[in-house]
Amino acid sequence: MNADIDGEHSLLGSYAVGALDDLEFAAFERHLEQCESCRDEALELTDAVAALADAQAVAPPAALRSRVMQEVSRTAQVTPTLRHPTVSAVRRRRWPALVGAAASLLAVAGVGITYATHDAGPDVSALERSVVMLASAPDAHSMELAIGSSHLVMSEHMDEVAVMGHEAPMPADGMEYQLWFVMEDGTAVAGPTFMPDKSGDIMALSDADCAKITAFEVTVEPQGGSESPTGDMVASVVL
Amino acid sequence: MSEKRSLRIVRDTPSAPDSPPDADERAAALSRDLIACARGDERAFESLYDAISGSVFGVTLRIVRDRAIAEEVAQEALVEVWRIAARYQPDKGSARSWILTIAHRRAVDRVRSEQAHSDRLLTHGRHFDASHEQPDDVVDVAYGRWEADRVRQGLDTLTARQKEALELTYFKGYTNKELAEALGIPLGTAKARIRDGLIKLRDSWEER
Repeated sequence: MNADIDGEHSLLGSYAVGALDDLEFAAFERHLEQCESCRDEALELTDAVAALADAQAVAPPAALRSRVMQEVSRTAQVTPTLRHPTVSAVRRRRWPALVGAAASLLAVAGVGITYATHDAGPDVSALERSVVMLASAPDAHSMELAIGSSHLVMSEHMDEVAVMGHEAPMPADGMEYQLWFVMEDGTAVAGPTFMPDKSGDIMALSDADCAKITAFEVTVEPQGGSESPTGDMVASVVL
Repeated sequence: MSEKRSLRIVRDTPSAPDSPPDADERAAALSRDLIACARGDERAFESLYDAISGSVFGVTLRIVRDRAIAEEVAQEALVEVWRIAARYQPDKGSARSWILTIAHRRAVDRVRSEQAHSDRLLTHGRHFDASHEQPDDVVDVAYGRWEADRVRQGLDTLTARQKEALELTYFKGYTNKELAEALGIPLGTAKARIRDGLIKLRDSWEER
């Protein structure tokens, strides 16, 4: 447990100076919600960083002010209920992430894909923690995924793949998203299924033999997932 | 508009004062303004603009190194602050740092998207071209002058490597992974350098 916390603690400086990629950033913000000591230090370090910025202050040209005010007067504002990575950390969030993943587990000889044993139980923080650790792996590789504003991150070193994002559209009734691993020989191996929560957040994590994967696909499948893709492909990432 | 502006107090201190110019009060005022912005209060936004646009413009200029682009980025960032003001949560951090984070991310994104055309990020040289336009004397940069002195003194307590880590990540937009790669150091060392540097900076001010 301490090793985990140290692992995340080490990201505090990078978080404060904005040196985390999008996925690490979102995952770390979620971690902050769980960890008071990180939160306290984050407040201090982000203020130190704000001082670095203040020290650069340069008066902008006067015309900028009127341009900004003009733009502001015609810009609609978001309402407080809309979610955003910086807001989400405050509310306790739950991902119905890997429900049904076990059901769709395919035994593929030699491929060696297994699922992390998270479900929609109370242990969401463990899932979040695992995703943070994955995202901060030295070889973590983040790719955009066209489901709302989402990323897929993989690490060959950890042999894990995560999907995380927000503003994901809700699939039709009785359907959910499913991730597929397209292997070297062209077969699509079933990955976890996942659903957006009420705010449109998605998060899923899976062990995967990353070295043998050539592409990722996401389809919409009947609840519980399928053994091979049957539904529409909504996103894909070719490696 | 011009009538309103002429009534504004122009804080124009030629040299940096020894003590923080009411740092707590300024922080509280900015937080109040930002919260009022969330309710659609444009006057509160004007006041927020005057308090922070100097820092927003300064930091974007430092990152994108081009005055015209910095103006665009600063404008986008400030309008974004207005647009998503409702998402600011006072218990999670200061209004100042929330706004500057938005500006920083925009500036870094801009540099990254321009990288396809040029290697601006890696180019060294002049930070920006001189402007032919009059600077906005309503905007508060006196705080920045005081802060610049404080930051300079704080940075003096850092090792050269810690300073380099902050420079490359915050002002050049490197991620911690890119930092590790650029310097040929393990990722863990890179993360520690950034964090240790910031902790030293913070501690240097607490001791004073």
